[in-house]
Amino acid sequence: MENTKKDLENMKQVYGVKGTLPKDFVGQISYTVCLDKPYEELDIEFSFDKQHYSSADLTPALLEELRTLCRREYDIEVSDAELERLAYQEMKTEIHTLASLNDSFIGCIHRQLPVRHMHFTPSEATEGCLPQSVIEGVLKVTVLVFNVLLDETNYSLTVRVR
Amino acid sequence: MRYKRIELHNHTTESDASITCRQLVEFMAADGADAFALTDHNTISGHDKVRKILKETGTPLSCIYGMEYTTYYGHILCFNLHEYVPWENINLHKPELLFQAVQQTGALAGIAHPFSYGAPFARGCRFEMQISDYSVVDFIEIMNNPEPLHEVNEKGLLLWESLVLDGYKIAMTSGMDLHQRSSMEDQFATFVPALEGKTAAEELECAIRSQKTCISRGPVLECFLDEEKGTLSFSLTETAKPGFASREQAPWLVTLTSREETTVHALDDAVRLASLGNPRLLIPKLYQGDTRLEHLVCVGSVIELSKPKGGISVS
Repeated sequence: MENTKKDLENMKQVYGVKGTLPKDFVGQISYTVCLDKPYEELDIEFSFDKQHYSSADLTPALLEELRTLCRREYDIEVSDAELERLAYQEMKTEIHTLASLNDSFIGCIHRQLPVRHMHFTPSEATEGCLPQSVIEGVLKVTVLVFNVLLDETNYSLTVRVR
Repeated sequence: MRYKRIELHNHTTESDASITCRQLVEFMAADGADAFALTDHNTISGHDKVRKILKETGTPLSCIYGMEYTTYYGHILCFNLHEYVPWENINLHKPELLFQAVQQTGALAGIAHPFSYGAPFARGCRFEMQISDYSVVDFIEIMNNPEPLHEVNEKGLLLWESLVLDGYKIAMTSGMDLHQRSSMEDQFATFVPALEGKTAAEELECAIRSQKTCISRGPVLECFLDEEKGTLSFSLTETAKPGFASREQAPWLVTLTSREETTVHALDDAVRLASLGNPRLLIPKLYQGDTRLEHLVCVGSVIELSKPKGGISVS
């Protein structure tokens, strides 16, 4: 289901937070929002930056670190060109978002979108999520951090209701 | 015996694939699978959609509802899973707790592509959980078709063989790890014995719990014990799986792997168990031409031999 900017403008923001992740962090950060009354619509917006290496990030030292990892973990030798290709195209900061309502799973976004929405109504929901007949109670949003390539990776989370 | 082909590892747009639930159903039906599993990453949001599509269309195809737990330390495939069991507090050193929590709901839980490349390419894809009790593992996906044969799948096969020969009742599966309409021709699929009056979900559960799954690119290898003679013989059961690239002139070979050794036999041999040292467990594999992994066609069900009063029996 698609939600337009106008749809979001008509919703009430009940929570917003920004955060910063350090390189190599693995783990989760949860935010709990107690909804004040039943709502018909819920939107969780999550975004982050620095998903991929830029040319400035890919220093000789980093390339050597990656090459050592490939040798140590997989016993593979990777050429400079292949290592650069892998670093630019395959390696990424990977963050999933998970939501529960009153301790019941209501959705998870695995797709690696740097800007993503989890949108819920009684009849429809974003792919990966379950429609919610009643939106009330305690919402918990968990930011699941699988991989962070770079220091000072910034993220933003916004919860809106209607 | 009749076998059902189940494609056990498939994703949709509910997680990170490019095909929708409806397209997945159509793709599986067109390829003649008997059943398929819906194993999106960390979500069960496709379950109701597939259920509705199958009901609406009357497609003669069964769905095994499941999920692929995608964690920081490895992927866990679950079948017959109907509810989301939280995984976020997974402990690298005590992963048994998650397997058990999933199994308490009645689901089956196993290790997906254990030797895939993980960090720095894709953290979590390699199975790094430190399992101290493998009895919690129902199955291991030993052939993840898109993965490299030697660097990834061979290691998975060897891990499974080693655990089975150590006495763990762990079944084996294969999967397409489907994220788009990739050809399934000549790829490994999982086969389970068809059971009268049972659903595909029940047949899969029964096969996994009794180590009666097998994986094949085409025919299924069956093994028969002649208790009087103390010999093992083999036969092939053709399946309806399309696209098997049979090397017509090449001979069929069967290997039998025990704790002690792997022996090679012709398909029409009657193998004397005494000549193998009367092993308790054997893993049969079918090859065409020679026994290089590239020519592996089928990994047959684990053969468990016991020695009751009347002689050797196979179960």
